[in-house]
Amino acid sequence: MIELYAIAQRPGPPLPDIAPLRELACGELGAICGTAAEESEITEDALWRHERIVEAVMETRDLLPVRYGTRFAGDEQAVDVVAARSGTLKAALERVRGAVELSFRVRAREPDVSIDVHASLQPLARESMTRPAPDEGELLRAAYLVERDRVPEVRDEVARLQHEHPELSLLLTGPWPPYSFVER
Amino acid sequence: MSTAIAEREVALVDLVDRLLAGGVVLAGEITLSVADVDLVYVSLRALISSVPTAEQGALPRMGSAL
Repeated sequence: MIELYAIAQRPGPPLPDIAPLRELACGELGAICGTAAEESEITEDALWRHERIVEAVMETRDLLPVRYGTRFAGDEQAVDVVAARSGTLKAALERVRGAVELSFRVRAREPDVSIDVHASLQPLARESMTRPAPDEGELLRAAYLVERDRVPEVRDEVARLQHEHPELSLLLTGPWPPYSFVER
Repeated sequence: MSTAIAEREVALVDLVDRLLAGGVVLAGEITLSVADVDLVYVSLRALISSVPTAEQGALPRMGSAL
């Protein structure tokens, strides 16, 4: 049983040695995978382990992260599935090329606060997504697709917004692989 | 609680949002059940409500750095 981590363009640089990884050739696409762990239970450590692998590959390549827990009986099955969708996947790779994802959450520290900080960050991003119904107490949960070299600019803007609006609690995390920008 | 651990726990919400609800869905075998996902979310909510100070002003550099 193999577990898929990401789809990337082929050929690419050598895979990181963070874990025993392999790249399955699917035409111009590569499916980056490893041997699936025995257990399939979600644990915090398992999620972080998966994330570290995808991030390590992302350091040198643009990629499409694959949904956690995607497993195939063998190489052939994985190659067939990726090859069958290669057109869609190549278009999806183009969409995220050269960019990473930043996560942004906003909470209000005082009642009846309504400030549109999303409008300040949106122009810095290639694309953005907001979650329709954030959790209780949350004003905004957004994801931004940002050019790799513009990440510091977004960080600085969030720091500036936090300084300007002490009544808000701003939380920016990333860079993440573009998990939120792979499906239309 | 150390700052690094607090940041990692705050980032766990973003991690779960992405790994379990984002990414390319291929026709492989998704081996994880919905019940498992719900459980992770429940424990996350409890975790987040217990570390409010970690959200105040911090801009954690996430992921592999933690």
